[in-house]
Amino acid sequence: MKRTALSIAGVASLSIVLTAQPSPRATFGLTAVDGIRVGHHTLAERPTGCTVILVDGDAVGGVSQRGGAPGTRETDLLNPLNMVDKVNAVVLSGGSAFGLDAASGAVRWLEEHNIGWPAGPAKVPIVPAAILFDLGVGGNAKVRPTADCGYKAAEAASAGAVTEGTVGAGAGATVGKLGGAARSTKSGLGTASISLPNGLVVAAIVAVNAVGDIIDPANGKVVAGVRNPDGTFADARKILRAGGTMQRPRSGENTTIGLVATNAKLSKALATRMALMADDGYARAISPSHTSGDGDTIFSLATGRWDGNADITTIGALAAEAMADAVVRAATQATGAAGIPAARDLKK
Amino acid sequence: MSAASALRLLWVGVALTNAPASPGAAPTPVRRADTAPAVARNDTITAVPGIRVGHHTLTERPTGCTVVVADGGATAGVAQSGAAPGTRETDRLVPSNTDTRVNAIVLAGGSAFGLDAAVGATRWLDGRGAGEGRVPIVPAAVLIDLWVGGKPHVRPSADCGYRAASNATSGPAAQGTVGAGAGATVGKLLGREHAMKGGIGSASIVLASGLRVGAIVAVNALGDVIDPHSGALVAGARAADGSLADARRLLRSGAATVLSSLPAENTTIAVVATNATLSATDANRIARMADAGYARTIVPVHTIADGDTVFALATGRWHGASDVSAIGALAADAVAAAVVRAVREATTAGGVPAARDLPQ
Repeated sequence: MKRTALSIAGVASLSIVLTAQPSPRATFGLTAVDGIRVGHHTLAERPTGCTVILVDGDAVGGVSQRGGAPGTRETDLLNPLNMVDKVNAVVLSGGSAFGLDAASGAVRWLEEHNIGWPAGPAKVPIVPAAILFDLGVGGNAKVRPTADCGYKAAEAASAGAVTEGTVGAGAGATVGKLGGAARSTKSGLGTASISLPNGLVVAAIVAVNAVGDIIDPANGKVVAGVRNPDGTFADARKILRAGGTMQRPRSGENTTIGLVATNAKLSKALATRMALMADDGYARAISPSHTSGDGDTIFSLATGRWDGNADITTIGALAAEAMADAVVRAATQATGAAGIPAARDLKK
Repeated sequence: MSAASALRLLWVGVALTNAPASPGAAPTPVRRADTAPAVARNDTITAVPGIRVGHHTLTERPTGCTVVVADGGATAGVAQSGAAPGTRETDRLVPSNTDTRVNAIVLAGGSAFGLDAAVGATRWLDGRGAGEGRVPIVPAAVLIDLWVGGKPHVRPSADCGYRAASNATSGPAAQGTVGAGAGATVGKLLGREHAMKGGIGSASIVLASGLRVGAIVAVNALGDVIDPHSGALVAGARAADGSLADARRLLRSGAATVLSSLPAENTTIAVVATNATLSATDANRIARMADAGYARTIVPVHTIADGDTVFALATGRWHGASDVSAIGALAADAVAAAVVRAVREATTAGGVPAARDLPQ
């Protein structure tokens, strides 16, 4: 009885949230997953910003953290051995470790909407976050996403189609830094989804700010990366195989951060496996990936809105596929910023 | 000028004289093929000095074991990313634990029973590899091949590990249906009757600077094997007409969504080795980056039914300057090349057809 009353209260608070943002649900991208909304806030002073993935209510979460220079919060909470198995939002942000502040803004927004883990006198919003390093892009390194950015991104969240490219956490993102920042290509934020006939939906969102080049795994070709003076791509794989001068990846300019979501029901341990398998999408679409100068991190969310039967191997494999698609889209949808050209600005 | 820097200059000289004249172009690969005469070039993991490989293959059933010996020991790391592993001494490789030099790595078929092979390698190394009065450190990983060839009670034992260690040489490592890869299969998304033969593959990359990075892998994946240079399928689940079904298409179309009944009969295990001088922490980073070689060539990989594991060895015989990320990237490349070779070099066994035996 008590539980019923609680869940009714939960539905009531949910409906308030939903009526505040009446966008129709997207058919492609992360918001194709029932229960997921996405909002960006992009700063005007410098290309940087943050992206908030809001869960309507909560979802089971996991994380895979495999890059060598991470900046995160609440990832220990996501360890399957630990108690809390629900996540209310995930924040992806630019601004290096300073950008973790954006999560505080999302927490504030969630508390104002009475969303969080019931903990005695308060509901505590569970908001894991990861940041990328973009302080060297666009001049004023003092301009970083703050709590205000996270609050505004949460406020802007909708179930509609996710804006891609030079926006939110991807606003200051660049790729192809094996030859230094001067030869990099503008990247950004991408999203993709796979919907099966049986109703299973698996989707990804990612802000791609890698040391490495972006590769289309369907054909092995460079999509964006280290630029030659003539505007062609040098191909990081060839540079490395030739023993070319790989500039030591600097921890001030990299990191790819993303999230995969599904409408399936998963335990916390399986959500963690989903995040780990999604990481294969990074390996396929970014070369090199997981370097000592990349803080590559992927969160996972299982909203459990679909009652069908799917195996974790299917869900994880599709998460890797969706993530690779999203990485490629981050590079193809980006527009040039701060004097750094995007792939679409370069001649083929 | 130190001998090392003189040597480096010499290498640079070789690199320059062999570089084709193409001003303005990206750095051109200078591989051993360009500088060495056309005698048998060792492009396997044993191109890394101090690394020897020995196989032992059982005759009763396609299974066996492979021992990678590091003469004088090597700093080691591991990346264990598949969900169904069978390993030993991996805790020893955690950087916060006592820094130890590893004497050999054992890869074996036979599921958890196959861990016995490491016992045999340890016995062979006792008093040889580790030195008098020192305990040989031999991490190991196994793959599951018990269903191949009909006699699941035939498994690599300690004897297998002992023989493989005593067989170890610095010559090019044998590839295909041999050692730990003898019973390996790939492409099991539609069930084992649609599988193809996996095996052992090895590759190496030799830079003009003197840096060497090699890999050896026993490929026994649930998934298909893809050539990352083209995205083309090399081996995998076969459709009813014998053509390759393509796991990526099966998964994306929803044609293969109920996999929970799949028995754990998979796992890809590998060793990467470099002659660079690395800390244990860096060796673990190399292993983790090398794991990307699996992701680029095997689809799906790291599944609930794969115990995918990569060991890394750094012999420290080369003291040149290189970044851990560059070495890790090359290790991923070497693993990817080795995975593709494993299925290209495999021969049909236990009634499971190899890629080379399929009608083109």
